[in-house]
Amino acid sequence: MQTKRTIFPNKLLPYVLLLPQLAVTLIFFIWPALQAVKSSFEREDPFGFRTTFIWFENYTRLFADPNYVNSLSRTAVFAVSVTILSMCVSLLLAVAVNRVLRTNRIYTTLLVWPYAVAPVVVGILWWFIFNPTIGILPYMMRGLGVAWNPRVNGDQAMILVIIAASWKQISYNFLFFVAGLQSVPQSLTEAAAIDGAGPFKRFFTIVLPLLSPTTFFLLIVNINYAMFDTFGIIDATTSGGPNQATNTLVYKVYADGFLGLNIGSSAAQSVILMLIVIALTAIQFRFIERRVQY
Amino acid sequence: MVENRPWLTFFTHLVLIIGVVIVVFPVYLAFIASTHSGGDFLRGLVPLLPGPNAVENYSKMLFEGISTAGAPPLWIMLANSTLIAIIIAIGKIIISLLSAYAIVFFKFPFRLLAFWIIFITLMLPVEVRIIPTFAVVANLGLLNSYLGLTLPLIASATATFLFRQFFLTVPDELMEAARVDGAGPMKFFRDILLPLSRTNIAALFVILFIYGWVQYLWPLLVTTDSRYYTVVMGIKRLAATADAEPQWHLVMAAVVLAMLPPS
Amino acid sequence: MATINLVDLHKDYGNSHAVRGINLSVADGELIVLVGPSGCGKSTLLRMVAGLETVSSGRIEIGGRDVVKAEPAERDIAMVFQNYALYPHMTVRGNLEYGLKNRGTPRAEIDRRVNEAAEILEIGPMLDRKPRQLSGGQRQRVAMGRAIVREPAAFLFDEPLSNLDAKLRVQMRVEIRKLQRRLKTTSLYVTHDQLEAMTLADRLVVMNGGLVEQIGTPTEVYDRPATLFVASFIGSPPMNLLPVSALGNTQGLNLPAGTDMVGIRPDQMHLEPRPGATALPATAELLEPIGGESHLHLRLDSGHSVILSVPGRPSITEGTAVTVYIEPAALHPFDSKTGRRTDA
Repeated sequence: MQTKRTIFPNKLLPYVLLLPQLAVTLIFFIWPALQAVKSSFEREDPFGFRTTFIWFENYTRLFADPNYVNSLSRTAVFAVSVTILSMCVSLLLAVAVNRVLRTNRIYTTLLVWPYAVAPVVVGILWWFIFNPTIGILPYMMRGLGVAWNPRVNGDQAMILVIIAASWKQISYNFLFFVAGLQSVPQSLTEAAAIDGAGPFKRFFTIVLPLLSPTTFFLLIVNINYAMFDTFGIIDATTSGGPNQATNTLVYKVYADGFLGLNIGSSAAQSVILMLIVIALTAIQFRFIERRVQY
Repeated sequence: MVENRPWLTFFTHLVLIIGVVIVVFPVYLAFIASTHSGGDFLRGLVPLLPGPNAVENYSKMLFEGISTAGAPPLWIMLANSTLIAIIIAIGKIIISLLSAYAIVFFKFPFRLLAFWIIFITLMLPVEVRIIPTFAVVANLGLLNSYLGLTLPLIASATATFLFRQFFLTVPDELMEAARVDGAGPMKFFRDILLPLSRTNIAALFVILFIYGWVQYLWPLLVTTDSRYYTVVMGIKRLAATADAEPQWHLVMAAVVLAMLPPS
Repeated sequence: MATINLVDLHKDYGNSHAVRGINLSVADGELIVLVGPSGCGKSTLLRMVAGLETVSSGRIEIGGRDVVKAEPAERDIAMVFQNYALYPHMTVRGNLEYGLKNRGTPRAEIDRRVNEAAEILEIGPMLDRKPRQLSGGQRQRVAMGRAIVREPAAFLFDEPLSNLDAKLRVQMRVEIRKLQRRLKTTSLYVTHDQLEAMTLADRLVVMNGGLVEQIGTPTEVYDRPATLFVASFIGSPPMNLLPVSALGNTQGLNLPAGTDMVGIRPDQMHLEPRPGATALPATAELLEPIGGESHLHLRLDSGHSVILSVPGRPSITEGTAVTVYIEPAALHPFDSKTGRRTDA
């Protein structure tokens, strides 16, 4: 790994410098993670007196549990929908901002700030808007003859959390797409224009392919976001309900472990989540490495 | 590029305006709701224009709180959130600066290992190790304390990488010139590297402050004492008062207040 | 002021050898230029003297003191870097003062030295500006100033002019030479530009592959290159190197035993007959007028290409047959197996 051409000769100092970071990491990250792996192979009796080593039983039970399998598929639906919805809207807005010259700073400022809104608050905002008794959207939908009540209807609850989660992520994607669009060389689009390609053709044949590194990066980031950073949104709106319809994997770890006190199962779920994050991070990191080499 | 397509320009602005409306609308609604009295919601539809009760609602939230929901006055929670976000941001910046400095400017045994240990934190968000991390903090006696709220969140692979990237772009000659000028490692760090990192530190501070401000799951786990509630979790408690319909006008006042500082 | 002695200096990076046994004595007040192609070890050597690279084996003495184990700051040297390495967040004054402050120099003394350096280098009006507000030439002066205020035993220059444009480079070269004469500070100067090396040096050290090829005054090195490498490296256009066979009949040339290559400077080949000169038939391939003189590319009938530098603009069209005359005294005899001069 890279260092400077010349380095300081001190022997002890670098360890001292690293100590705070490593201490926090080891105590609050690595150690708990190892604990999770350990308890995922154990069963604790109801009073916490005895733990038994039970190999993969927690895991096999988990995959035999229809609730968990349901949670897996719900999470997949949620993550894919959030990623697609949020990225499409962001890309459209980014392309539009990239076209306007004078007013683009105003638009950018107005579009960017939801980044700073906490997921929980996002959840509450949308819960309010979709509130069946006083919400404005259900009122309009009743006018269209749609009965709207996400507290009862699982699909509607899912739509609600997807919209809320996507709304929150628009600003992040938007910023990256704008940066990506600005790095597409002007000369290429000009060359295509001289070759007779209209704005739409230029976008789909020149700009979009050149944007693919950004798109891929955001794809991974968004899946990651939808799976792990949306705890607050779900907790503030549906709390995983109704009837498990929006119980994503992360929410289930919390509900089973912290509220349900089923330590073994929760630990096994944690370990599975860790494997998912590791896979996503590895893909992302490989991608970043590859881009550095260009 | 010179190109004149009026309909396309019109369409572009239309898209942007719709986008801005989508992004702003929920917050506008929150603001409107926070200016009405509780009774206005019983009629069944949220009003779309500001009402007369803004001052009353905000002062009630800020200084009294809602005792029925077990919510302390909002200013306490705002102060908590600010304090926590600042500690987290500054803490992350300090320990990341130090570790990036060690990794870039020194060669020592286990350097790669240290790098990987830091890197691994990227793969272990709080959400995937809830119970054991809670257990560690509980065993250390850090529940219901500012230390417990901040310390476990202070490790930062992202900030370390960013500083590492930046340090690698600092010309080698600068450090060599400083050595010839008689500066030791800590003097170089303080006199040259820190001032050069100022812009990066400022930008990162904003991002990390927001990170700290929006934390929800972790404060939810480690605080049971309302003195340590943060704004974000306080709002959640307000909105989830048993089965009753929450007092939306007050909740929304809190929401608006909670969104202000980071923006 | 001090002498610098390098004794059997080596630098290895794992299995690769950057510097392979250098011996050099720099006299007090002398300006030595280390010159060679990139990768020849000249920068590594300079950085070892500065203390920025560790020494694999050998000794470095500055002012009679062995400094191999000393920190850069303890060696009483000052260095001027290729990219100037000015501290971007400090003013010019701050840059000049930094090293003195670190040494605990008294305030009055710092001010005296800074003002003196500013006067010498004519950077007085810029003392309160930041480096980014300065032009390339001005930054170069500040970098020099930072070295001067230290009043060190030796200056180390690491290609200090290579970031400047051609015109400024010539101007700064002259200034560095004047300054060094005035301060009489022992200096080591690294460059890959042979013209810079020739004009600046009291003595040249031509390096190649981590070894010294030749040490001598610029005139010595130009007039009697010790090796084939030096012959081809110093001089522009480069010396023509031909196998002896290309000269045809070598009787009467008196070439020393073992000679199988000869070198001839482009300006030592003539188009008019000279008494006692060897005549070689050739064909003109290209004429490059470059102002006062012209470079004429020829192909000898033996098949070898040579370059002549001829005064004025001869009217020779490409493709015409010409005859080249070489006087025996202009020949530099070499042994291509050892790479060394055979009349040494």
